[in-house]
Amino acid sequence: MKYNELTRRYFDAAASGHSSGPGPSNGPGTLSGPGSFRGAAGSRALGTWVQFDMQVAAEPRVIAAMRFLAFGCPHVIAVAAWLAEHAVGRSVEPALPESVQALRARFEAPVEKLGRLLIVEDAWMAAMRAAAPAAVH
Amino acid sequence: MSTSSVYLDYAATTPVAPPVAARMAECLTLEGAFGNPGSTSHEYGERASELVEAARSEVAAAVGAEAADIIWTSGATESNNLAIFGVAQYYRGAGQHIITALTEHKSVLDPCRELERRGWHVTYLAPDRDGAVDPAQVAAALSPETVLVSLMHVNNETGVIQDIAALAALCARSGRARLHVDAAQSVGKCPIDFGALGIDLMSLSAHKAYGPKGAGALAVSRRRGVHLTPLVYGGGQERALRSGTLATHQAVGMGAAFALAGAALEPELERVAGLKERLWRALRALGGVYLNGGTRGVPHLLNVSFDDVEGESLLAAVSPYIAISTGSACTSASREPSYVLRALGRDDRLAESSLRFSFGRFTRESDIDAAAQAVSRAVTRLRRIAGRRSAGT
Repeated sequence: MKYNELTRRYFDAAASGHSSGPGPSNGPGTLSGPGSFRGAAGSRALGTWVQFDMQVAAEPRVIAAMRFLAFGCPHVIAVAAWLAEHAVGRSVEPALPESVQALRARFEAPVEKLGRLLIVEDAWMAAMRAAAPAAVH
Repeated sequence: MSTSSVYLDYAATTPVAPPVAARMAECLTLEGAFGNPGSTSHEYGERASELVEAARSEVAAAVGAEAADIIWTSGATESNNLAIFGVAQYYRGAGQHIITALTEHKSVLDPCRELERRGWHVTYLAPDRDGAVDPAQVAAALSPETVLVSLMHVNNETGVIQDIAALAALCARSGRARLHVDAAQSVGKCPIDFGALGIDLMSLSAHKAYGPKGAGALAVSRRRGVHLTPLVYGGGQERALRSGTLATHQAVGMGAAFALAGAALEPELERVAGLKERLWRALRALGGVYLNGGTRGVPHLLNVSFDDVEGESLLAAVSPYIAISTGSACTSASREPSYVLRALGRDDRLAESSLRFSFGRFTRESDIDAAAQAVSRAVTRLRRIAGRRSAGT
């Protein structure tokens, strides 16, 4: 399968263990400690699984760092890496920085892979939900 | 051609050997044997005919057949189709049952499915976990209605070698079932003797053995009195079993390639077996790596599956460095897990995460080391992204 340049760049960066962005705060991996929240979706057995960990700053309450783990095709890994990079500095909210459809177009993922990208979105929303109660308190 | 990746896909195809290409080129020019080999009324055609017949003898000699057994085709796919439909049509009055295996090439399975649509009964044998078809399974499936048993010699995905001698003996004892062997992967990798084994029909391919693409043959045993109904009519060439002007350069290329394949076979098999063991040792160290097809395969092919690695990502990660095949067929959406590996009992995930490495005449130890390094790096990193660790990390 052919991948566009963006997919190849984010996949290669993730596969080499690096973040694709300027900082080390958004590559593959996990986060723990106070202010850390986790959300996951999918199943390895079914071919796609994604987990986002994020560190939320106290004030202003924004995402200070995000890391991801993913079992999936290059599109899934690239989109998860891109989201982790673009999450930093955003407020804690369920909406993706871009819709799944827009991400699919950006990464030129075939329409048949939409379901896999929805699993990425589910993992994102699970992480945001995990952080939401803290916002109430 | 200048490429940066290591070529380890010799089971898919091989480069044409330079001496083969040189002999083929001699058939294409005004100064060469460009004549129609069927036009033997003049020296141009006579010369081409002589070359085609010499090539026929070379192919026959390489596989233990008589020259007159060899029918030129465009490749193993056409040979398989001619064998299956040709036997089915000719012997349909004697019975309408065929035996084959779930792990056969599509060019055997698809004709069998087509015959099922036409009312034939086909038994698809399931091999054991190592890919072997037990001759006892064939014996149990044989019936008075069986006119053909079609089983391959060397599996194209796993390299597993079937016990053709035992299968041929069974078919001979049945008195009615003819044995067709797809030997597309055999020449130059695993000796096979058409005559001595008592095979009725055998498919051969040139491009798997450093010959040209678009050239193949079907050996049809005259001694055993095997008959076929042709698929192509018009001209009566090739014992009227495959009409059409012969491609002199293709036949000459296949003959030259098969003659070369037999030379120094034993030392080459030993050398390639060493390469396979070297790669397997390196990959096994990763942990969670499974050998597909067991240990009874040809030395030229290693098929392995990796735990905790998604197949498409594995291929994407290694493809810049190694040219290999995977155990799946790519579609735009996903990868269909290999039906061969699933028939061996691999689950979908392991079937998808399999890689087929196949080695050849130009593979060196440095290629193996580069491949092992690329795969080890990719598997380790993808497992890390997936939240799993390799045994070695």
